[in-house]
Amino acid sequence: MQMFLQAAISGILMGGVYALIGIGLTMIFGVMQVINFAHGDLVMVGMYVSWLLFSHWHIDPFLSILLTGPLLFLLGAVMQRGFIQRVLGAAEENQILLTIGLGLLLSNTAMLLFTSDYQLLTTSYSSASFSVFGISMSVPLALAFMVTTIVAFGLYVFLMKTDTGAAIRATAQDREAAQLMGINVTRMSVLAFGIGAALAGIAGALIAPTYYIFPHVGHAFTLKSFVIVVLGGMGSVVGATIGGVLIGVVESLAALYLASGLKEAVVFGLFLLLLLFRPQGLLGRART
Amino acid sequence: MHLFSYRAFFPVVCALLTVACGQKSEAPPSAEAPKAEEKAAAPAAPSAIKIGFINSITGPEAPIGENLTNGATLAQEDLKAKGVNIELIKQDDVGKPQVAMSAMEQLVTGDQVTAILGPYTSANSNAVAKLAQQYKVPQLIPVASKDEITRQGHTYVFRLNAVSTQYAKSLIDSALSFGKPKKIAFIYESADFGTSVSTAGKAYAKEKGLEVVGDETYQKGAPDYRSTLTKIKAAKPDLLFMVSYVADAILIMRQSKEVGLSPQAFLGGGAGYETAQFESERDISNNVFSVTQWTPGMDWPGAAEFATRYQAKFGKKPTYHAACTYASLMLLGETAQKVAGDRDKLRDALAAESWKGIMGDVKFENYDGFTQQNRHEMAVIQYQNGAGVVVYPPERAKAKAVYPFPGWK
Repeated sequence: MQMFLQAAISGILMGGVYALIGIGLTMIFGVMQVINFAHGDLVMVGMYVSWLLFSHWHIDPFLSILLTGPLLFLLGAVMQRGFIQRVLGAAEENQILLTIGLGLLLSNTAMLLFTSDYQLLTTSYSSASFSVFGISMSVPLALAFMVTTIVAFGLYVFLMKTDTGAAIRATAQDREAAQLMGINVTRMSVLAFGIGAALAGIAGALIAPTYYIFPHVGHAFTLKSFVIVVLGGMGSVVGATIGGVLIGVVESLAALYLASGLKEAVVFGLFLLLLLFRPQGLLGRART
Repeated sequence: MHLFSYRAFFPVVCALLTVACGQKSEAPPSAEAPKAEEKAAAPAAPSAIKIGFINSITGPEAPIGENLTNGATLAQEDLKAKGVNIELIKQDDVGKPQVAMSAMEQLVTGDQVTAILGPYTSANSNAVAKLAQQYKVPQLIPVASKDEITRQGHTYVFRLNAVSTQYAKSLIDSALSFGKPKKIAFIYESADFGTSVSTAGKAYAKEKGLEVVGDETYQKGAPDYRSTLTKIKAAKPDLLFMVSYVADAILIMRQSKEVGLSPQAFLGGGAGYETAQFESERDISNNVFSVTQWTPGMDWPGAAEFATRYQAKFGKKPTYHAACTYASLMLLGETAQKVAGDRDKLRDALAAESWKGIMGDVKFENYDGFTQQNRHEMAVIQYQNGAGVVVYPPERAKAKAVYPFPGWK
């Protein structure tokens, strides 16, 4: 039982970070119907930014999200305004190629700047843990989970309670109708992409102290976040949150009860089953 | 999505680069002229003996490939000082077997080299070994550790470093000499290196009467090993045998600390557990054992001087890759000079002679199904106060091993 709880809790903590990455991707998809294949690379940029801030100026990675978030927001906004905006009406495969291209640009620029060496961000608490009823929890992951919860809650309030949030939701529901109602949909798209990128960057900064950093680290996250978004229902923020935590827990339990080499197989197996029996995702609306 | 990944384009780019570099490295016609003049001026001096060096100079293996290059550079200097005149022709395999094979073809048929040094990785060395046998060109492998390479009866293939099986044997032997462990668990990355070392480890552990209570693989790059480590903790092993690369080695130790996994000994199977980066993470590396092909602490002749010179020239500590490559090129150059660059005579000389150097005694022998394999003695080190010290074999030990593991602070 204790082993089960231990695995479940590690899974939930890891899943929180996955969820944050997933929420960013799902927002971008919801507002623009564009799948951002550069999403994992944005996570990578977030990791490098917090690593740089830490190794040069000794800014704690949990504090530096106050800088990483806005920086990544800017990067995302520029990406949207400069590139994505131009292909919004184009065929889907063209949009995919564009985002993949942007991702390559980001990861290879990182390789040029930082070489392909692994970097570690070792804080004083990187391997610290505390135990609750005999279940040990990683200090940095528990902190990351708290920050994730705050950020996700903040985002929820922003989307639900503010006018801008309502405008973003309106754009996601029906782009043309929103435009007819006088909403500046281009600005909403820039905003959504910026927020998505900022969330990815924050997630990167949050896992930086417990993970390792290299230019192509993003690929794994792109794939995972895509699964999370489809699992939760394309464009559903709550769905992505549930999807992220679910993937984290499934991975963790699969490693415990089956074999750690098989955990990815279990995740993708479940994903296939879901696509077969509930193609719209857990919380997605069936498309008409 | 992976179809579109940059990796798909990588071979193309690399092939183009190789072609470009290949053209560059083909000596301009003017280079022939001075050589002819030299010959005319001093007919007694033998012309340079050509040795081909295949290595991962670019690509994902490049960070380690650099160590091999550095080792070879020092060997070139020393050979020159000894009056051995060799011409080292370098080829880049970008970490891919097919590129290594075409580099080999170019070196053997185009450049007409006397012998081949390298390649770095196991997969590439194995591919090139088949060609070496086919073309009857002596090949000396400095660092690739997969057992199979010298188990195929290739008569032109020699290997200086110890094989993967030896990693496991040395580690388990050392643990058995420190205490009385009964149960052992394995955690290893799922690619070639991890599986081959731990397969050998499992077989050897059973032979020695240890009970295998855990057998866990993981994919390189996974961020979370906690549940796997919890599972291992529940099996209560006395020894934890780990095979990992740089970053995952550190993560596994960090998370072991987190979940409070504390066996009698953490045995690190080389690679990620013997890097400077791992050593510097004192919080988690202290008291961990690792096995290595080379360390200056083994007191082999010239090893300490090599370490100082290397540090002065390249600004970092030499890895075993650098030392193995240095020793390989030294003996290859000297022997090739003796036989005046004849491929068959060189093969016979390599098979018959023995050498002494920074890697200890070197002799290529046939044993336990291996052919022309140096029976290299590996060192077991333990991190004590932030530095790796030799604790096994006993006759070379510099400090007493801390065993059992005192637990996490």
